[in-house]
Amino acid sequence: MRAVAGIGLRAPHLAAIARDRPATGFLEIHAENHLAASPAADALGRLRDDYALSVHAVGLSLGSADGLDGVHLARVAALVRRLEPALLSDHLSWSVQGGRYFNDLLPLPYTEEALAVVARNLHQAQEAFGRPLAIENPACYLAFAGPTLSEPEFLSELVRRTGCRLLLDINNIVVTAHNLGLDPQAWLDGLPGEAIVQYHLAGHAVNDADGETILIDDHGSPVGEEAWALFDAALLRFGPRPALVEWDTDLPPLEVLLAEAEKAGQALARREGHAARAA
Amino acid sequence: MPLALPDLQRAFAAYLRGHDRPDLEGAVVGDRIGAAARLRVHRNHVRQSLAAVLAATFPTVQALVGEDFFRGLAHAFIAESPPQGPVLSEYGADFPAFVAAWPAAQSLPYLADVARLDWALNLAFHAPAGPRLSAADLAGVPMAELPALRLAPAPGTALLVSPWPIDRIWRASQPSAAAAEEGVKLESGGVALLVLRQPDDAGFAVLSSGEKAMVAALLAGITLGEAAEAAGRDGAGFDLATTFARLLALQAFAAVQ
Repeated sequence: MRAVAGIGLRAPHLAAIARDRPATGFLEIHAENHLAASPAADALGRLRDDYALSVHAVGLSLGSADGLDGVHLARVAALVRRLEPALLSDHLSWSVQGGRYFNDLLPLPYTEEALAVVARNLHQAQEAFGRPLAIENPACYLAFAGPTLSEPEFLSELVRRTGCRLLLDINNIVVTAHNLGLDPQAWLDGLPGEAIVQYHLAGHAVNDADGETILIDDHGSPVGEEAWALFDAALLRFGPRPALVEWDTDLPPLEVLLAEAEKAGQALARREGHAARAA
Repeated sequence: MPLALPDLQRAFAAYLRGHDRPDLEGAVVGDRIGAAARLRVHRNHVRQSLAAVLAATFPTVQALVGEDFFRGLAHAFIAESPPQGPVLSEYGADFPAFVAAWPAAQSLPYLADVARLDWALNLAFHAPAGPRLSAADLAGVPMAELPALRLAPAPGTALLVSPWPIDRIWRASQPSAAAAEEGVKLESGGVALLVLRQPDDAGFAVLSSGEKAMVAALLAGITLGEAAEAAGRDGAGFDLATTFARLLALQAFAAVQ
């Protein structure tokens, strides 16, 4: 799909979007919020003719050593068949152990063992969906000790082994780099740019841990200056792709969210313009 | 020695449920921020986000006990019964039973039934739409055949019977409740509620004792004739035609089985 900016479809905005059909590049939903029936799921059925959709899963748990939950995978696959979204993604993380779901994107050690687990699970998921999945870099609050790959190396190797695509979450790079003491520009160096199919942008919270600042990916505020600058750097390096502004907690009025997405759209258009002039 | 991935995830899951796991802490890099503080980000997020899910699913329970009490209750439930899947509107089926057994809630004997009402409303809200049985659907059925019919309940339809006036407690707990609705008299007695999916919401209707007996029989898959007999035995002044018309108007049933 074209490199446009979109917004998340969240329940409090549903009535206004269904009524006014505001202009935006695409609507993103969390797969897990649309598996059970609800008025929101009914409304989405009516919106899908007017908007491109992005289905973002948060619960496949691609990093689970236990393997995937086949029942859940089948439900998400049925949703994907029904909605035929332009974009389809989940995260480089895990959230299920022993049949229990922990509502978080939990970190993986970037080892050869974990790489084999994620690759195996990804193969199974992509088989079920009949299409590649885009994998999002998580916001990291910790790293595991021992010899490990870097996150970009791990992602690159996953692309090579499974043919998956990448969803580059710009804010997560900012958060991870701050929390783990990495250079966000250098983080971009190791990625296969041609595999990137989508960007995410969001705000984060600044918390205290042991008297030090730790950044928390809470999707609860406007996109920060550092993320906008890194977005420009990524656009320069990899080129424009569809971009989502994520805002999930302290949800603002719809106009504010649309304006934030418009800012992302302008950054994409600037880069398209540069590329066109250079050509 | 790093933990193998299955062991690491087992330790992490136990930690998230509140157990001390020095082996997990030892596997995490600690520097300017210690490993324990880094891990707490995840434990706090799991607790807070799942407590928010429970508060959204059980709003009446939270309104009755207050946010602080509810948080303690939710955290204990989350540690004992984490979700069994990532569809969080399906989380909390066991919460009413947990509330019933929670020692600090014993002074509110109606609380578990209020939790059951919240849960039934949640199930109805997430029930699929679809056909509903109407009087017109039955117009062509000869009178003589009506008693042998069995009716399939509409998805989300549930009967809830409580010795407490949970309908009035529920109304008094709504943010929009008028002052006149507050101050529910618990001794006013129990109630039978028919919980239903409605076009853009879930709701309930209060049933008379005859209606209750009829609905209970129909939901158990008993024929219309036998259900009417049961209702006639239980309900003073029970009128079959009026009751049946009301149940159809409430769209409680999906089809004839």
